[in-house]
Amino acid sequence: MRLLLYTGKGGVGKTTTAAATAACAAARGERVLVVSADAAHSLGDVLGERLGPEPTVVAPGFEACEVDARYVIETHWGRVRTYLVNLLRHQGIDEIVAEELALLPGADELATLVSVEDFAASGRYDLIVVDCAPTGSTLRLVTLPEVAHGGMRWLLRLQRAAAHVAEPIARGLVGVPLPKADVFAEAERLLFETLGSLRARLLSDETSVRIVVTPESMVIDEARRALTDLALFELGVDAVVLNRMLPAEALEEDFFRDWGRVQAERRAEVASVFAPLPILEAPLAEDEVRGAAALAEHGARLFGERSPSARLGGGIGLRFERGESGGWLRLPMAGRDATGLDVTRVDDELVIGVAGRRRRIALPAGFSALEVERVSMEDASLVVAFGSAAPPGGGAR
Amino acid sequence: MRVLLHTGKGGVGKTTLALATALAAAEHGHRVCVLSTDPAHSLADALAVPVGPDMKRIADGVWAREVRAQTELDRAWTPVQAWLRALIREDADALVAEELLAFPGIEELMALRAVREAEASGAFDTCVVDCAPTGSTMRLLRFPDALRIFMTQFFEIERRGARVLRPVVRGLGGGGLVPEEEFFDAFERLYEEIDDVQRILLDGERTSARLVVNPTRVVVDETRRSFAYLSLYGVATDAVLVNRLLPEVAAGGYFKSWRAREEEELAEIERSFPVPIRRVSLRAREVIGVSALAALGQDLFGEQDPAERLHTGRPLRIRRAGGRMRLEIDLPGISKEEIDVVVKGADLHLRVRDGRRSIHLPDSLVGRDVERVRLREPTLEISFADG
Repeated sequence: MRLLLYTGKGGVGKTTTAAATAACAAARGERVLVVSADAAHSLGDVLGERLGPEPTVVAPGFEACEVDARYVIETHWGRVRTYLVNLLRHQGIDEIVAEELALLPGADELATLVSVEDFAASGRYDLIVVDCAPTGSTLRLVTLPEVAHGGMRWLLRLQRAAAHVAEPIARGLVGVPLPKADVFAEAERLLFETLGSLRARLLSDETSVRIVVTPESMVIDEARRALTDLALFELGVDAVVLNRMLPAEALEEDFFRDWGRVQAERRAEVASVFAPLPILEAPLAEDEVRGAAALAEHGARLFGERSPSARLGGGIGLRFERGESGGWLRLPMAGRDATGLDVTRVDDELVIGVAGRRRRIALPAGFSALEVERVSMEDASLVVAFGSAAPPGGGAR
Repeated sequence: MRVLLHTGKGGVGKTTLALATALAAAEHGHRVCVLSTDPAHSLADALAVPVGPDMKRIADGVWAREVRAQTELDRAWTPVQAWLRALIREDADALVAEELLAFPGIEELMALRAVREAEASGAFDTCVVDCAPTGSTMRLLRFPDALRIFMTQFFEIERRGARVLRPVVRGLGGGGLVPEEEFFDAFERLYEEIDDVQRILLDGERTSARLVVNPTRVVVDETRRSFAYLSLYGVATDAVLVNRLLPEVAAGGYFKSWRAREEEELAEIERSFPVPIRRVSLRAREVIGVSALAALGQDLFGEQDPAERLHTGRPLRIRRAGGRMRLEIDLPGISKEEIDVVVKGADLHLRVRDGRRSIHLPDSLVGRDVERVRLREPTLEISFADG
C-alpha cells in the first residue's frame, strides 16, 4: 500500500493534481482511492461526480470520496455519542446530534485521519491519494495523532484515578454520570489504535508528501515554510509539482513578456528551495482538467515514464533537533565545506549563502528565541547550532 | 467601524484585492486596518515589506497586521497555555510541543478576537479582513456556534468535574493535568469576547462579505456554495469581485479561445449571485507594492467608496407575499436535496449541505405551520400558513 499526501497553498491545483495522479495510476492497473480532506471539497467538481463519504467508483480501479466529519462520528463513535446523549439528557437537554459534535474544532481533521486509516487498513487499495486542505490545516492533520494521543493518555489516567477513588464522590458532587469503561475503551481503540497505526504509516516509507506550487512568490514562500514543518514532523517529501506554467507560445504574446521573465526566475527559485527533489512541471491549460479521462491524460503528461505511485525522490534530509538550551539544524549538502558558506539568521528564516546563491529555510516556532551559535560541516551535512544566549556582536555567526 | 471580510477559493487573489480595497478606502478618508487571518499569511509578500503581529502603518491612513495564533497565545493566554503545555509535554518532545500548542480552532479564535480589538481601539473606521480560504472561513463563521454548544452543554460540567478531581489527581501524582480555575475563567472571558464579535459579523450595516472569484468553473462552483454558507450563518455578502480577467490587449493570438470561455463563466457569475459584480483584469506584471495595489483599487472601485455597503439586501428576510408570511434566504449553487427545514417551537432549523443553523422565529411566525418550501434559484422561500 502506498499513501500520497498532496499539499500546498490554496488554489495551486492540489485537487486536480491529486485526482490526476490517482486517475493515471488507475489507468496503469493499480487499485486507487482518492480522498478529499478539504472541508471546502472540490474533488467532486473536478471529477464531475457527486461524491459522498463512502468511495464512489468513477472509473475501473478508480474510486473517490469526500470526508464528512458528521458521517464519521455517526459511524465510528457509537458509544461515545451514546454517552454524550445520556449526559445531556441528564442535563435536561433532549438530544445531541452528530452535527453538533462535528462543529467542534478538530473534528474535520480527526474524521480525515480515521477515514484514511480505515481505507488504508482495508486492503482494498494499492494506492491512496489524499487531497489535503490548504497548508496550515494539513500540518494540523499530521500532528493530530500526537495531540490526540497526549490528550487520550491524560483522559485515561484521569479515568483510572476517577474510577477507583472519585467516581462515587464525583457522581454526587458533579451531579452527572461519568463515562464508563466501555466508553473509554472505544475512545482508546479509536485514538490509540487507529491513530497510532496511522502515525506509524505516515512516518514509514509507505507514505510520501508531494508539494504543489505555482510560479508565484507567495506560493513558493508558503511552500518553504511547509517544508520546515514537514521536516519537523519527519514526514518524507518525494517530489514537487510546479503547476500552471505558462507555455512557450503564450509567452510570445506581448502582454505576457514580463510574466515570462518572472516565470524563469521562479522556476530557478523552486529548484533551489527543493533541491535535490525532482520537480514535475505542468502547463497552465486553457480548460480546467475535468473528468476521469482528461485527468488520466493530465497525469500521464505530468509523470511521463514514471509511475505516479513510485517514490520519486529521496527527500531533502532537513532535520531539526532541540535540546535543553539550544537546537540544531542539519541539512545534507554533499561536496561543500563550511568555508565559503555564509549563514545568517534573518527574522524567522535562516539564510544560507553558497557560491553567490542564497537558500532560505524557515525556522520552526520553537527556534524563535534562539540565535545562531556555530556553523560546521559533519558527514557531508551542514550543521547549524543555535543557543539561547546571543554571542557578543549580535546574532550572526 | 465597517468590517469587510474578503474570502474565496485559495489562490484567487484575496490578499491582493483586500489590500487594494483598503488603499482605495483610505483615499476616501477612512482610517483603515487590514487584518490577515489566514495562517498562511501573504500580506508581507503582496506589499513587499515586512508585516508582523503588531499594527504597522503601510500607507497614509492604512495599517496592517498578521494575526498569529502563537504570538497571541503567548500574549493573552497564559492559563490556557500553561495547562496545554503540561498536557502535551507528557508525551511529545519539547520542539514538537511548541508547534502543538496551535490546537485546532485556535486560528479562528484569534482572528475573531483581533476584529474585536480593532473595534475596541476606536482607531479605525474600516477593518478589511483577509480571510483564509473557504473551508477555514466557514469554520471561522461557525466557531461562535460551536463555542456556544460547548459553553452551554459541557463547560459547567467540566468546571465542576475539575474542582472535584483536582485534589484527587494531584494526590495521585498527576500534577497540572486538571486545569486550574484560572483556565475556566479565561475561557469564560473568551466566550464573552467571541459573542461580541458575532454580533458585529451578523450586523449587515457593520459587516459585509466580499467574495473574490476567477472566471473558471471550479472556482465559481465553490464560490456559489460559499455565498450560500455565508447566508446560512447570517453574514451579508454585498459584492462579488472578479479577479484576473484576460485583458483586451491579451485576448488575441494564443489566448483567443480562452476569452470565449471566460465570457461564459462571467455570464454564469452574473446569473449566480444576487449582488453587484465588480471586475478587474490581469496585469502585465505581478501586483506587488503599495502603488500597484492602489492602482488596482482605483480600477476596482473608481469613484465609489469601497467601505460603503455595495448592496443592502439581507441574506435572511421575512416578507409578506400573496397574503402569506414568507421567510427568504439566498442559497446559490445549492440543490433542493441538500436543504432540510424543520420547525420546532420557536426555532426554525435549517440545514444546507453540512452546515446547520437554528433561526429564532419572530413572535408573528411562532406557532404557524410551514405551508410550503420552495427553491426559486437562488432563493429558498419558506411560506407560513396564516395564523
